[in-house]
Amino acid sequence: MNFCTVSVAGFLTAVYLAPLHATRTDRGGLPSEPGRVRVGGVRPVGHEWMAPSLLYTISILGAIALYMLLRPRNVSWKIIGGLLGFAAFGWFLAEMPAVLAPDDAGRPGFFYLVFSLISIGCAVRMITHSKPVYSALYFVLIVLSSAAMFLLLAAEFMAFALVIIYAGAILITYMFVLMLAQQSPDADDPTGQPEYDRRAREPAAAAIVGFILLAMLGNMATDGIGSVGEPRVTADRAALEAVQDLNLMPLDLEEIVAERNPGATIDWDDNREAVVIVDDRPMVRLIPEGEASPELFELSLDDAPGNVQRVGLALVAVFPVSLELAGIILLLAMFGAVVLARRQIELGEDELRELAGLRKVSDYDDAEEVTGGGGGDRT
Amino acid sequence: MMTADTLHLTMATLEPFGSLELGHFILTSAALFAIGIVGFLTRRNMIVMFLCTELMFQAAAIAMIAFGRFHMDLSGQVFVIFILTVAAAESALALALVVLLFRRKETLNAEAWTELRE
Repeated sequence: MNFCTVSVAGFLTAVYLAPLHATRTDRGGLPSEPGRVRVGGVRPVGHEWMAPSLLYTISILGAIALYMLLRPRNVSWKIIGGLLGFAAFGWFLAEMPAVLAPDDAGRPGFFYLVFSLISIGCAVRMITHSKPVYSALYFVLIVLSSAAMFLLLAAEFMAFALVIIYAGAILITYMFVLMLAQQSPDADDPTGQPEYDRRAREPAAAAIVGFILLAMLGNMATDGIGSVGEPRVTADRAALEAVQDLNLMPLDLEEIVAERNPGATIDWDDNREAVVIVDDRPMVRLIPEGEASPELFELSLDDAPGNVQRVGLALVAVFPVSLELAGIILLLAMFGAVVLARRQIELGEDELRELAGLRKVSDYDDAEEVTGGGGGDRT
Repeated sequence: MMTADTLHLTMATLEPFGSLELGHFILTSAALFAIGIVGFLTRRNMIVMFLCTELMFQAAAIAMIAFGRFHMDLSGQVFVIFILTVAAAESALALALVVLLFRRKETLNAEAWTELRE
């Protein structure tokens, strides 16, 4: 353990000191040209990400704060740790690019800050709280705040699905199991919490691991993300392609057409496509009433299907096999849970049953499989 | 090629992140993931350990959605659906196992099962 700590500390020192020699401009490959957006990295005006050494300092602070919060039953350490954590987070925010810069789209930066603070704070509280039920409740808060972040990222469907599935279903299962697996209170402790919930296992080593991970991921996010490259499409091109999704929704397209060009019929080509992009404008190919040749009519960007429809289209049209596999995974998980939870077998139950002249539990189960379980498989 | 001019479109909401950038969301997700790892390593309660894996799933989901928004692609959101599926399946099986283990030893302490490593 000591040897491990020393070697990890040496590695960390090397990681920490190495970028101090490198200036910011010669990292990250591409020089920033004027008028060119370094995507995810540095924008041309007013956006500067923090230097890696600063990021490492902040994550060390965060790791120390986490270590102090994980100390068992030591209130003053916990207070210092909490303050240190908040200081690290505040410093981090101060060094971030202008999140609160004025923005046309209703200042999403403010909401990002709020929900990021809530989720990270609740995550820390979740792993430091000695009562598992409270941990689960803090996790519900994390789920809610990350659903809010999904909304900021224009993923409306996933935001609500997350709340319904995670907070509504999975967390309730956790709560039920927590209540089923209720411990008898520990007599040694005034709060009655069992010892293994009050005392963290190897908090120092875990904090170091967390720090390494955070420093690496953070360095990737602030400096090395240039390797992600340019986005696949620009935002305006993506809006056009969203309108093209109407090709997969013929009934909706017919409705739009009937509203604006009554009597016209849609001219589907061999690939079942009628919506095309011409000169960066979405067009639909129509045959007007009483004419023979198709003409192009312009659609508006607002005609594009909404997020829910587009996610559904992507799920069914682009990832159909994965969808089937997901169904199989859920089905197998259900079978597994039923098989696991079906019967409670006590230790030594077989011997007791033999003494009482009954069959062994295992024989009983096999027989049951043949009559009961076999029938289910065939249907 | 994305230029500063094309970023300002007719619809203000079309710009991927507003005043935010991809890095902001990746950092939040990295912090959540790191905290999840630390929690998994430090907690000894089996249920809380699984809760920490759910936290890591959550962090991955935020990163997926952020990358999807960055590329203006819906695959990120579809991936999150599969993450949710796997998380649901995992929690169903893991919690069933936890209940079985709890019945055996009447404790949720993961270290009660250290003889399994031999």
